[in-house]
Amino acid sequence: MSPQVFLGVFYALCASGLVAGFVLSDRSILPLIGCVGSAASVTMFVVGTLGILGNTFSYRLSALPQVGAFTFSVDPLSGLFLSVSALVFLPVSVYSVGYLKHYLGLFSMRSFCACYFGLLISVVLLLTASDVVGFLTGWELMSIIGYLLVNYQRRGEEDPRPGYMMLTMGEVGFLAVTLAFLILASRSSGLTFSSLRTAGVSVSFPIRWAVFLLSFFGFGVKTGLVPFNRWLPKAHPVAPANVSAFLSGALLNLGVYGIARLNLDLAPVTTPGPGLVVLVIGTLSALVGILYANRENDMKTMLAESSIENMGIITAGLGAGMVFYSLNVPSLAGIALVATLYHMTNHSVYKSLLFFGAGSVDAAMGTRDMNRLGGLIKILPWTAAFFLVGALSISALPPFSGFVSEWLTLQTLLQSATLHSSGVKVVFALCGATLALTAALAVTCFVKTYAMSFLGISRSNGHRPQARTYRSMKLAMGFLAILCFALGVLPTYFIALLDHPVRELVGTTSIEALVPPFFPASAGHESLPSTFSAEFHDLGAQVGSRVLPGRGLVVLHRGGTANPVVFAMSTSYAIVVLAGLLVSVYLLARRWAGHKSRCFRKPVWAGGLQPLLPELTYTATGFSNPVGVTFNAIFHPTEVEDSSEMVGQHFRMAIRRLVEEIHVVDRLLLQPVNTRIREVANRLASMHHGRLNSYAAYILATFLAVLLVARIPASQQFTISPALIIIVVLLVDRLL
Amino acid sequence: MEIKQWVLQGLRTGIMTTRYPAAKESAPGVSPGLPALVSEMSAEEGSRLATLCPTGALEAENGQVHLDVRRCVHCFRCVRGVGTPVHWEAGYEWARVAAGAKQPVWPKGFSKSLHIRVVDAGDCGACLSEVKQLNNPYYNMHRLGFFLTPTPRNADILLVVGPVTEQMRKPLLETYEAMPTPKLVMAVGACALSGGVFSPSIFSGAGVAGTLPVDIEVPGAPPPPLAILHGLLVAAGRKTSAVRSVVPVQQMETGKLA
Amino acid sequence: MPSLIETVTQAEQKWPGQVQGWLDRRKPVSELRCNALEVLPKLARWLVIDLDYRLAGLIAEEQAEAWEIRYLFYQERHEGWTHLIVRPPLKVKNLPSITPEIHAADWHEREIEDLFGITFEGHPLLGDFVLHNDLWREAIAPMRRAFDPQAALTEPAADLEWRPRRIVEGPGAFVMPVGPVFSGATESVQFFLETVGEDVIRAFPRLFYKFRGVEKMAEGKSVDNCLLLAERFTATSAVAHSWAFCQAVETICRVRIPKRAQSLRILLAELERLRHHLGVVHDICESTGLAVAASEAAILEEDVLRICGALTGHRYLFGLLVPGGLSADIENSACLKAIEDAQEVLRRLAELERMLRYSSSFLDRLEGVGILSPEKARGFGLVGPVARASGFGDDLRQTQPYGGYGAMSFEVPTESEGDGFARLRILIAECVQAVRLMAQLPSSMEPGAVREDFHYEGHEGVGLGWTEAPRGAAFHWLRLGADGLVKRLRLITPSFVNWHSFHLAAEKFAFQDFPIILATFGLSVAENDR
Repeated sequence: MSPQVFLGVFYALCASGLVAGFVLSDRSILPLIGCVGSAASVTMFVVGTLGILGNTFSYRLSALPQVGAFTFSVDPLSGLFLSVSALVFLPVSVYSVGYLKHYLGLFSMRSFCACYFGLLISVVLLLTASDVVGFLTGWELMSIIGYLLVNYQRRGEEDPRPGYMMLTMGEVGFLAVTLAFLILASRSSGLTFSSLRTAGVSVSFPIRWAVFLLSFFGFGVKTGLVPFNRWLPKAHPVAPANVSAFLSGALLNLGVYGIARLNLDLAPVTTPGPGLVVLVIGTLSALVGILYANRENDMKTMLAESSIENMGIITAGLGAGMVFYSLNVPSLAGIALVATLYHMTNHSVYKSLLFFGAGSVDAAMGTRDMNRLGGLIKILPWTAAFFLVGALSISALPPFSGFVSEWLTLQTLLQSATLHSSGVKVVFALCGATLALTAALAVTCFVKTYAMSFLGISRSNGHRPQARTYRSMKLAMGFLAILCFALGVLPTYFIALLDHPVRELVGTTSIEALVPPFFPASAGHESLPSTFSAEFHDLGAQVGSRVLPGRGLVVLHRGGTANPVVFAMSTSYAIVVLAGLLVSVYLLARRWAGHKSRCFRKPVWAGGLQPLLPELTYTATGFSNPVGVTFNAIFHPTEVEDSSEMVGQHFRMAIRRLVEEIHVVDRLLLQPVNTRIREVANRLASMHHGRLNSYAAYILATFLAVLLVARIPASQQFTISPALIIIVVLLVDRLL
Repeated sequence: MEIKQWVLQGLRTGIMTTRYPAAKESAPGVSPGLPALVSEMSAEEGSRLATLCPTGALEAENGQVHLDVRRCVHCFRCVRGVGTPVHWEAGYEWARVAAGAKQPVWPKGFSKSLHIRVVDAGDCGACLSEVKQLNNPYYNMHRLGFFLTPTPRNADILLVVGPVTEQMRKPLLETYEAMPTPKLVMAVGACALSGGVFSPSIFSGAGVAGTLPVDIEVPGAPPPPLAILHGLLVAAGRKTSAVRSVVPVQQMETGKLA
Repeated sequence: MPSLIETVTQAEQKWPGQVQGWLDRRKPVSELRCNALEVLPKLARWLVIDLDYRLAGLIAEEQAEAWEIRYLFYQERHEGWTHLIVRPPLKVKNLPSITPEIHAADWHEREIEDLFGITFEGHPLLGDFVLHNDLWREAIAPMRRAFDPQAALTEPAADLEWRPRRIVEGPGAFVMPVGPVFSGATESVQFFLETVGEDVIRAFPRLFYKFRGVEKMAEGKSVDNCLLLAERFTATSAVAHSWAFCQAVETICRVRIPKRAQSLRILLAELERLRHHLGVVHDICESTGLAVAASEAAILEEDVLRICGALTGHRYLFGLLVPGGLSADIENSACLKAIEDAQEVLRRLAELERMLRYSSSFLDRLEGVGILSPEKARGFGLVGPVARASGFGDDLRQTQPYGGYGAMSFEVPTESEGDGFARLRILIAECVQAVRLMAQLPSSMEPGAVREDFHYEGHEGVGLGWTEAPRGAAFHWLRLGADGLVKRLRLITPSFVNWHSFHLAAEKFAFQDFPIILATFGLSVAENDR
């Protein structure tokens, strides 16, 4: 079956879902979303996978006047993004069936349904667009519907600012992206991606930088990179959990898609400069994201900050890939991009899982504040188990998925040692070290989250859960948890899959560089050096070759004769060995301990103090305090209050401690810029003194200037006249 | 530089550890000794000594003198300034397995090393101080495999000092409950065995036996570190107890301090 | 600083008709009997702030028809005591609190409230002090004659929802509980440390887990049996406390003890001081983790214990001091040997101190940590090495000489920083002085009797005995009946006074410093709880 058919089915399903949402009653909309949404996601997944495997197509819609034709195509890169998004939308559809039951009667299901299917359509539109207009249309549609969904549970009196901020900053980014496309298009013959591609090869150095900076800034806003990500931790928590899941899991990836498409496909980079910028910004985002995630006590805000961190890691990997590509080391670029795309997939999967968990906790307990949770493992055992899988994955602990991608990313950054330019090597080293730091901080953050919310004593005074966790919610979480595990223990298969889009981008295949053919049946097995092959066969690299397809189960990068193995690991074998060890230890212990020892359950030891009250245990703030103290320079807390209420000279009745913190990005960047802009605006405001005569003089001056400008040749007109027109328009507007 | 000076100092000081239990320790001042009844004494001598004893360790009944060392608080009133003082025995191997308790037998692999959780249930400070001396270079209980642990979860022996004040009763019970089996309770000192000089009231008990089942008893006020070490060795099953205590512990309800 | 007679005359002039003065030149003691309760705080303030007296403590007694609440004051420069006495009738249960004026009275008033049921108006924090509210109903007043133990046992406990009092308000503030069973072999005490995660904002020690009710037990006992209680309630200062008790008895019965007994008492007390201080040095070294130094100090402590054991037959010197002298004589040769051995111990201690002064990692953990300022020391009325390390404080052996100390020459070292290192230096300097005192004794130990025989019956009256125990000033107040039985024993201990201020030193430091600060204070929970 060809991809077009599936695409058609997809659009049909979404359209029918959209229409049916207006017809059906509220209660029936939920299964509609579940069934139709899942079906649509499955079709999206199929289209994507077909695209990855090379079953591309291209399709042209009828031409619109002035704008040109709409072209659609699916190539391996967009296919990958389609599949990953489908992997998120499928469980979201299922999860919504149960989760939205908590919203029945309070909010309109119809609008949710409409927005949801609209979003699906816009995402596919965006990813399959093969010309500028289609792409931008899809982008705008996605931004607006995203805004609507973020503000879904806004009641009239609540602060609408998070949604507005997301929309506004998104629009600014959109403007930048549009400009980038237009600049590139001005050098090419048409607006389709293919014509841009041909133009992008020979574009001049300043244009390339302009395109890069504008596209990186524009897509960076969407992806949530420093310093334009202040909207992310505000917008994602405000939305319902299923919305947050696909906001973090699917929509953030589209920014990465944009950067990759524009800077590796359409106008590939030729110097390491852009790549280094991407790398540094990515690393900074990761650091800032995880630092603030450590300090957050609200589960969803913490997860949003963690999304910033993961997007930073992905961007950093992308930047490393761009640097290697520009320095003509396509094999390393391939490995870097494999790592990036792997991490992106993993992030989509486990972030959605974590948001589902947070949503389930929020629905059950009515609060997301970790300082008021605790002991949930007894009340919500399934959520706790699945959340644990997600937390282990995001902390990059084997054998889960996060370990593979994080490991690959760090290994790639180490490969900069083979480059020649020492400046590049220094940047790579610093960024690599910082990313390792963020990995450690991520573990701290999730230990805190899991421990404070699920383990320990309940801090909510025995508050019983208000609502059930529905089966559909557990199903969705379970699906994602299994996926986390599968992506962790079967990396070689997924790398083989990722090789397809990466091959298209960098030109060479990376599968050779990452997955050596240890299985005798696989192609290329004979070409392995015999000593090398023999060594690894002794280690068991061919175990399972009879039953398993593929090239092997070991992820390994080979170097030259001096250093035959640069890095190697196999989570597949590790999980088998781990399971074997656990089982054998258990059996030994059973035999040795025998039947004499019984197991007693006693209360926790607290120095003889019983009962241990929840206020006598660590709070989330207390747990993360050392992080705050160590990174004091970044957090820069200012003491607002440190007072003691005294009776007499020596009796203290109360001690009040209040500390204020301004986000580092706000403090260092946005607030100074904001004050500058206000200053300039205030200066300019002195122009408006209300005297009609001066305004008339302004108009006359402008008119004269335009006349002068009209004498200037056409090429410069193109650049100057828009500015003049804008000034005139503003002045006229002020007049009126 | 600084680390080196401490290492050299330690080497200079040398080994000061006693050879007990391999050999008897006979340095002066290691033990206050305990009274012992060796020969018959006349009825009036016996009753005179019994009136001198403030806690009833020496009791005269029907012309017979009984000695219960669990009540002896080392006031020395039966020795100092007395015409015919009671016989006083030097030595320190006083620990006994309590009546009703069995000689401890640990599961294989446990007897070489035991962890001890010490609980102060109202102790005056002397018994606790002697317990703390067990880790000084003179006695060094680590060489015998005994360790103090801060958590009852790792503990094999619960060493209790003090008469068990009412406000410490519940924490003591909690500590006992928090210890996994197999476990032993060792009561160290006259207060822990009989309430000592603190006559039982609603604030202060008559020893550990009123709260927990006691397995090993070490009399003395305070028992010197060597006596406590002997008690630990008895608890580990590496030494036999002095003499099986014949007075059942339930009789220890009332103190005798008039 | 006025003398006792001037105090009495001035008081009678300032509050005519409300205060009556009375002077006993022999002891010397002056009494100010106040019959207007509202004058009490002003009078106390005048004594402490204007006349520079120090408050030793409060004594509450329930007599036949009236209370007798006695406030003990003494001066640093003059010998002698001023007692401020109020005798409200039994139905009066409220007294004005002097705590707002004199913070040193804080815990004394709280203890009286818990044990006697008298409330002090103006004190903001009464209740849940000695008798923990999660175990006992409030106001069972066990020290009263009408107290029925059986009723108290059968009544249900007051507060099963008891929670520690929290005063820190701020995001993420919580309480870290420590104890009562904690660490390796420590006394049972509970701490609630309020924090937001790194440093301790407020430390709240919850004491009296070891409360045995010794003062209640003493009532109705013979003097000999009461001596046992006074000696044993904190056996690590057995000599000091039994000496204070014996002095009280000797004051009441008007007994002079033989010279030899006096010298031997000084010898035993200084040996005990040496041993106690070495124990605290060992605790400090162990808390900072300096293992070799801790072992060295432990060797020295064990050496002194063996010296005591060889000298007297008991390592903690039990059973030696009796009213009238000593229960047994100690030979001069044995005393000389003990003094020689103590000098050897001192020589090794000096070597240890020299090495510690060059251990910068050790000093880092003590210097500037656990600071107690002189103003706080004065405001809380602290005693002992803790107070002297903060530049405040005297030594009873010099300011109110007793037992022959007046004729001996020794120094009282003081420091002013008030941190852990200052306390360590004070302890070592006091060890030097202790051995110096011991070395002066052989010249005054002529052979002779060591005990003055007398009867306790027929000596009805009150008496105060005091000693400078190793941890500070200890006071034993005794009332004997005509039948020679004890009617009231009041124990005011240095640990009770100093625990009051512990929280000041522990606050604003990290959790890791807490055990070190605790070790440098060298306090005894048994001495505080009684």
